[in-house]
Amino acid sequence: MVLPLLQHLVSGGIAESVHWVSLNPRGPAEVTFDGITLHHIQLEADRIKGYGNTKEAIWKTLHGLPSDSSPLTTAAASPMQVFWQDEFSDFTYYNRLSAERILQLDEKFDFDLFYIHDFQQLPIGNMLNTLKPKIFRWHIPFDTSTIPPEWEPFLSTYFNSYDALIVSSKKYMDSLKNFGYDGKPHYVYPYIDPSQYREPTAEETAEFNSRVKLNEGDKVILVVARLDPMKGQDHAINAMTKVAKMVPDAKLVLVGNGSFSSSKQGVNLSKADKWLNELRQLVKRLRIQSRVIFAGHLEQNLLNAAYRRCNLTVLPSVREGFGLVVIESWLYKKPAIITARAGIAELIQSGHNGLLFDPDEPQDLAEKISNVLLDDQLARKLGENGFVTSRKCTIERGVKDESKIMLGLV
Amino acid sequence: MALILNYTLLYPWIAFVVILAVTWLVTHFLDSIIKRVTRGRSSVANKVKRLLVIVIWFFGIVFALEQLGLLVEILLLIVGLVGVAAIIASRDTLQNLFSKYFMDIYLTFDVGDNIKVREYSGRIIEMNPMSTILLTNDEQIVSVPNAIFYREITVNTTFQAWKEVSIPIVIDNDIGLPEFESEVIKSGNKFKHHLDERFPPMMAVKNREPKTTELVLTLMIKNPDMKEAITTEMNTRIAEIIERMKAKKKEVKW
Repeated sequence: MVLPLLQHLVSGGIAESVHWVSLNPRGPAEVTFDGITLHHIQLEADRIKGYGNTKEAIWKTLHGLPSDSSPLTTAAASPMQVFWQDEFSDFTYYNRLSAERILQLDEKFDFDLFYIHDFQQLPIGNMLNTLKPKIFRWHIPFDTSTIPPEWEPFLSTYFNSYDALIVSSKKYMDSLKNFGYDGKPHYVYPYIDPSQYREPTAEETAEFNSRVKLNEGDKVILVVARLDPMKGQDHAINAMTKVAKMVPDAKLVLVGNGSFSSSKQGVNLSKADKWLNELRQLVKRLRIQSRVIFAGHLEQNLLNAAYRRCNLTVLPSVREGFGLVVIESWLYKKPAIITARAGIAELIQSGHNGLLFDPDEPQDLAEKISNVLLDDQLARKLGENGFVTSRKCTIERGVKDESKIMLGLV
Repeated sequence: MALILNYTLLYPWIAFVVILAVTWLVTHFLDSIIKRVTRGRSSVANKVKRLLVIVIWFFGIVFALEQLGLLVEILLLIVGLVGVAAIIASRDTLQNLFSKYFMDIYLTFDVGDNIKVREYSGRIIEMNPMSTILLTNDEQIVSVPNAIFYREITVNTTFQAWKEVSIPIVIDNDIGLPEFESEVIKSGNKFKHHLDERFPPMMAVKNREPKTTELVLTLMIKNPDMKEAITTEMNTRIAEIIERMKAKKKEVKW
């Protein structure tokens, strides 16, 4: 989401030039393209693990997920413990390294504004001792019911170092207001560039069908998400046992692999592989191997084909900051069934432009999938109304909203 | 006869060199004495040390010159008289300046705290060498001369102000700040059982000079009785980290 925003800011003449500081342990120190200069922070190998573990533990807590077998989280005796582990010093080290780099660049280029993106960079605002405006974009859920109350003073200190805070939904903004943030919070729905989602050719659709071994009459339920327990692919798999009984031709296609963080280029956490293995075991245990297809990562043209080919999409996440894949599927006028715990849920009028389900109720999801697969009229209505709603999340609108906040500060 | 003559000639020069050597030694032993007096606060220690080094060298050079037969009494008298006159003329200014130095060490408030002194109360928005500026509840600015804080009872009304321990630190810019901060945080973790769990140690940059960076480390303690011990312990650890990082730098250079 950062790259399209920056490209539009430059191409739209809102920003003369943009410098983007980002973690990339193996990338070149500096790359320039389209008026954007990318500065890579190259963290030493021994710091990456501590940084990654701390980030993961904070991320899980903010998503209301239980701790796993990571030494950091199991050692945690209390919610604050993550900030008292020695590994937290690696997390601070990364943020300070980024802040120092930003300040060096500021001396050279005299920036007008600092835009800090996502929770793992939150401390940077406090480290940039400058009077220039600082905006923080919180990209994950912000739900006070999942944030430990003990975190409030610590997080508030960081939040209050920013002049503006942007979250991904109105609900999160209301939570932030009650959290002790003294500034003015904003919400901007995440956005996509619809021009990237063109109509697939017949060859591309055929290639997709062939790659995932779909028959012409199959009714396809599509889940597009990275492989991560938080994404709740297991909910969709569990629902398939009941769906299969009601809709004999139904097939579940799971698209996606690990995130950058879990890749070998990133911080090398093996979360995605572990989760994939667990999902395969679940499918085997439920004896629905013929019903579930793991498609892995798809290139953009094949992803477009997947959206065109499917009958509906499901967003089964346990928690989801927003849920842009729903917008993607709406561009193809596909009906979407969405977890009530996603940021995008506030855009859904259930039965009008989508259906909401409770991720703790597998039967609920199964029934809703079956209803849509068996009712063409309902499917068409949800898809077409969803397409209209998708206009709230286009890049033009997002850039307009974000630049309004930026220009209000400079 | 020749030997006696040589000795007479040589003696003042030996005395001159010895006095300068003793002066040099005294300035070098100052470090440990100052650290004890200033409770290891590096920013204050550096300022006090710089001042004392100038004074000691002044007197050292004067006495050394005297050994060579130079008439320094008149010079001393002039300097003394000018000094006394300057002190009398700027008594209040000096009082305030010295107060500011020692406020950093001995007084328990800082910018952002709410205090009450005499009939004035408000939030501290500035502490300069001469005065402490308060913003009152009715948005008036009150300037309190620093010397007043040594004559009057001052109440820090900030909620749980007793918890906060602010440790000023000065590091040379050739010490990497990210690594230094990381080491200090790890060091603070060693006695986390004495600290308020909700507020992990936090470091902030207060000022950057071409050669040095002024930082402040904030800790929140659990027990007010431990404030002194934790401050001293943390200052000792910080000094060790600085020494270690300086030594590492030297090793890399070699």
